[in-house]
Amino acid sequence: MNRWNLPDLGVGIGLRTTHFGEILGQRPPVDWFEVLSENFLRTGGRPLHVLDQVAERYPVVLHGVSLSIGSTAPLDFAYLGELKALAARTRAHWVSDHLCWTGVLGRNTHDLLPMPYTEDALRHVVGRLRQVQDFLERPFVLENPSSYVEFADSTMPEWEFLARMSEEADCGLLLDVNNVYVSSFNHGFDPHVYVDAIPADRVVQYHLAGHTHKGTHIIDTHSDHAVPEVWELYARSCRRTGNVSTLYEWDDNIPALAVVLAEAGKARAFRDERVGTELTASAR
Amino acid sequence: MTGALPLDRLQRWMQAVIVHPGTIEEAAAGPAAASELPAEQVGQVIRPSAHLQPLERLEIYQAMYPLRMEEALASDFPALKHFLGDDAFFRLALDYVQVHPSRSFTLSPLGQHLADFLAGYRGLRQRAFCSDLARLERTVAEVFDAPETDVLEEEAIARVPAEAWEGARLVPIAALRPLRLRYPASAYLDSTHDEAHRHPRIVRTDEWVVVYRRRFTVFRQDLAKAAFLLLEDLVAGRTVGQAVAAALKRRGQSRPRAEDLFPWFRRWAASGLFSSVQLG
Repeated sequence: MNRWNLPDLGVGIGLRTTHFGEILGQRPPVDWFEVLSENFLRTGGRPLHVLDQVAERYPVVLHGVSLSIGSTAPLDFAYLGELKALAARTRAHWVSDHLCWTGVLGRNTHDLLPMPYTEDALRHVVGRLRQVQDFLERPFVLENPSSYVEFADSTMPEWEFLARMSEEADCGLLLDVNNVYVSSFNHGFDPHVYVDAIPADRVVQYHLAGHTHKGTHIIDTHSDHAVPEVWELYARSCRRTGNVSTLYEWDDNIPALAVVLAEAGKARAFRDERVGTELTASAR
Repeated sequence: MTGALPLDRLQRWMQAVIVHPGTIEEAAAGPAAASELPAEQVGQVIRPSAHLQPLERLEIYQAMYPLRMEEALASDFPALKHFLGDDAFFRLALDYVQVHPSRSFTLSPLGQHLADFLAGYRGLRQRAFCSDLARLERTVAEVFDAPETDVLEEEAIARVPAEAWEGARLVPIAALRPLRLRYPASAYLDSTHDEAHRHPRIVRTDEWVVVYRRRFTVFRQDLAKAAFLLLEDLVAGRTVGQAVAAALKRRGQSRPRAEDLFPWFRRWAASGLFSSVQLG
């Protein structure tokens, strides 16, 4: 259990437009839905109408891509205000975003751009995280990014940055094990060292997803089934954290709902079996 | 500090490289990037990987930026993309975001300037038609996202005393836009939904269109010019009496027949175009 006693919601999937009809019509057996916050801000049309109905029937968590917590541009409190209202409307269990920056000089690249892992950057992110949490007045969780460049000036590995950040800002972590795997290939580190170094009691949620291997690097595309190495990392981390809310992400080449649900089912079996085995072994 | 770059300069430099439309070498040497970090010092800031050099790693982000922008614009302007073809639309998207980059936390406003941009965009066939088509598709997107408002019910209409109608104002729903077009953009949009793609001839043709949403579905109606002008006046806030009087003073195709008026009002009310009646 995490230190804030945030619940294990089970295994969820992302709420995607292409599945709206099936979700409302068939009420599929999903434990919870993760909602891409920005898709439901500044719209009063069908998406929000669907979200209201989904939030009536299922637990919901908000997941954002535009907070830009690492940016040197000022925090966007207009955005945070709308995010806070959406969280209240959906009774979101928590709100999450990414350890990244998305733009400066008034521009949004809509990419999750990497941070240097330095003491300066850590102070910068922690200070902004405190402001965000004070403003949102709701549990806040930050996800480890996948990245394609490393900065020469970084003085600590990403896992140490995350651990210190979560402790100093007192925020939760969303551990994306696919991102760990992607970055481990791109930067040449051992992903097992990474997941073993994450403070287990701060992990509030997991992400699982597929990626695209380009030979020289891996792109985090969320367009496929997770590879065995990612499942193995997930099971390894679950042995440390116990069962934690888990989400299967599929954002590109989105298949039929049944295919995504099958991946979620695999996650459920995987975590329950692995964690159960470990707990049984410990009890002996 | 990163390679002697403080965080703010590092981010300005990296963004300048990523959004540059040229090659990665041109991007790193461009004035915006080079003013933060000389191109020859990139290796002091970005580490190489086992397979890629620093600029090649940065190029991954630079390559994804236009794809993401094009994808966002294509989702709002599918008919324009159909008309232009994939390559021309991609070039347009690249040129457009250089002038009108995203400045919002959501991508939904990205295309708000595209119609005006197209009006002055050189080297495009049927530029004026493209601008109209973009204006129509942008309007459809705005109506899709507009707030949901209550619809004026028949009972509420029936409660208005007959003598009060002249000074009454019909308040439009939020998801309603009257739109004047100079080319057959609405007909073209329809034809892209037709499997045979029987496109209209792209010649100067006035279209008088109302775009609105009912029960979360976006509709378009092509109106007669006289009906459009009357509806436009009502949406602008003129009283029923003022709008009708103005309509009957118009000439030619702009002037309605008196017997048309009641059926138009009835059809618009049935379509849910109004949310309430304000009595003067």
